[in-house]
Amino acid sequence: MKRSEVWHSIKQTFGFKRLFWRIFLTFWLASLLVMTATGYVLISKYTSDEYNQRYFNGVLSQAERIVWRYEQDLANGNVPKGKIKDWISHNVRHRGDLIAMQISDNTGRTIYHYRMNKVPQRDRTVKLVYGLSALPYRVETRLPEAPRIYKQVLYRFQSLQFVFIFIASAIVSALLSWGIVRPINYLGAFSRRYANQQEVATLPRAILTRGDELGDLAADISFMVNKTHQAATNQQQLLHDVSHELRAPLARLQASAAIIEQHTPDSRHVKQIHNDCVRMDALIQQILDYSKLEKGKPTPEACDINALCERIADDMAVHYPGIPLTLNCEPNVTISGYAEALHQALENIIGNACKYSSRGELVEVSTEKQNNMAVITVRDHGPGVDSDEIEKLLQPFYRAGNQMHTSGFGLGLSIAKKAIEKHGGRLQMTRPADGGLSVAIALPINQ
Amino acid sequence: MENEKYKILLVDDDAELCALLSEFLQTDGFAVETLNSGDAAVTRLLQSDEFDTVVLDIMMPGMSGLDVLRNVRAKKQTPILMLTGRGDDIDRILGLEMGADDYLAKPCNPRELGARIRAIIRRTQNGNAPTQAVVHAQLHGIVLDSGARTALVDNTPLPLTGAEFNALSLLMERVGQTITKQEMTEEVLNRPLEAYDRAMDVHVSRIRQKLTAVGINDVIKSVRGVGYQMLTPPTQQ
Repeated sequence: MKRSEVWHSIKQTFGFKRLFWRIFLTFWLASLLVMTATGYVLISKYTSDEYNQRYFNGVLSQAERIVWRYEQDLANGNVPKGKIKDWISHNVRHRGDLIAMQISDNTGRTIYHYRMNKVPQRDRTVKLVYGLSALPYRVETRLPEAPRIYKQVLYRFQSLQFVFIFIASAIVSALLSWGIVRPINYLGAFSRRYANQQEVATLPRAILTRGDELGDLAADISFMVNKTHQAATNQQQLLHDVSHELRAPLARLQASAAIIEQHTPDSRHVKQIHNDCVRMDALIQQILDYSKLEKGKPTPEACDINALCERIADDMAVHYPGIPLTLNCEPNVTISGYAEALHQALENIIGNACKYSSRGELVEVSTEKQNNMAVITVRDHGPGVDSDEIEKLLQPFYRAGNQMHTSGFGLGLSIAKKAIEKHGGRLQMTRPADGGLSVAIALPINQ
Repeated sequence: MENEKYKILLVDDDAELCALLSEFLQTDGFAVETLNSGDAAVTRLLQSDEFDTVVLDIMMPGMSGLDVLRNVRAKKQTPILMLTGRGDDIDRILGLEMGADDYLAKPCNPRELGARIRAIIRRTQNGNAPTQAVVHAQLHGIVLDSGARTALVDNTPLPLTGAEFNALSLLMERVGQTITKQEMTEEVLNRPLEAYDRAMDVHVSRIRQKLTAVGINDVIKSVRGVGYQMLTPPTQQ
């Protein structure tokens, strides 16, 4: 394979234009985006002013109640610190609602203290509260702290777990994407196989009974392939039947012409009828050959290419006695294929080379093996073909330069091409520098 | 030869074609009888030995030409010319292997048909055998009696068709020489070699098979691209 072909196939498989990657990336990015957004919302929630405000409101209202109780106790004449704590802890809904703070009066004496010992200096902040006596109290509390669950989420985002989420979302996206793309690829391969080999396989039930849009698509493709195949088969059958049926009247026509010839010998017109009968018969034969090639594949058998070429060379020696033909064979060129189709292909190509050569012009046939391919080259020294006509030559009923005077119908090369394609091989025509035409046929040795 | 009317049986399911061909062949000097089905042909041929050549269409509905050939050859050696489809190599080879004397692709020019019939008649009539000069030939344990047109191996007759006998005697007559396919076709089948002509190959391969069956191996060599050769036996005692 050429480098560009390799690159093309890589692009085909991994290219970002492929649906697989588009779906994968879309889902993956979307899931990552959702996660990032959630994280952002959570972070912004606990750093927001509103959150701070609520926190300090809580602190201040708790502090105010403590101060109120303290002042009441003071008025009653007893100041036991523990009592305030007990009281406040009974007055909040649950113990966790107690906020860490340290309250001191204007003389600097601590009147209330709850869980502030371990709080470092940088996390502390100071607020003032006024009691009923209008005296200021200093409330020292910690800066608003993120609640536990928020902290955990944040922690996860920064930790290894986040990497796991990242990978897991990638895997999920890939699975999703693969689940969509795989049946599409399968259907693609299915229809390609039909187009290339005319083999109608049934799609697996699993894909037909999916029940989703891909299942519908599979059913449609299956329907289309069956319809197409039926149409093609009908056409083949029609072609075959018509050709066969044409032969009977042709035979009668020839017989009648011969009877006329017996009565009026040397009739120019009867000769014309005979010639045209022969041409028509050859055309019918070619159409039959062509339609036979379109039919399914028989089981391949071992074909000795050299023996085939030798046999054709023998036939050509009888058919075109004025054209010298050389055969240059590498030993043991044998492939697994369809003998009759190969014979037709080679016979048509070698026959063409002889037909377009003038008396004495050499036709060279050679066979060789090249990396698992059997290559047969047929080279003539005839008039050759214009380069822009080379492609057209392979179309049915096309003839180079539209030379109606030479016998032939332009089906020979189409038959050859079809037969070669049936073997998974290639046909290539080139114009050698010193004139003529060179036809190379490459056939895989093992299909 | 034209004075004596040779009798031809024409077997084809196309009645109109039969009528036309028989008109042509009658004008050409043959006595022609036509039949339109395989069954009728088998019955007629097994009853009578009056036909000098049978022209048999291979593609017939019901009992095909090959079936007719198989049934007739089991009991009779009446010369048979097959009409085959142009592309049907397999039918031709099968037909020749079952003992048909020659084949012609259909549709054909009736003149060609006449020529082929004459060629078959010429070589099946004893007097015109090309091996007339050699009365008894013996090689590789094969004894050839050209008078009786039989080949004997260990005093047992080898069942050969007319074409096979002619080919074998030609090869034995020119032992050690390579005979081209052209020459063999002309000598044995009394007609020129055509392109895509497998008749000679099939006849030779049938001779080989029959010889192998009686224990005589590798006496006829193929010379690729040229023809065939009967090998000179190693110094005879």
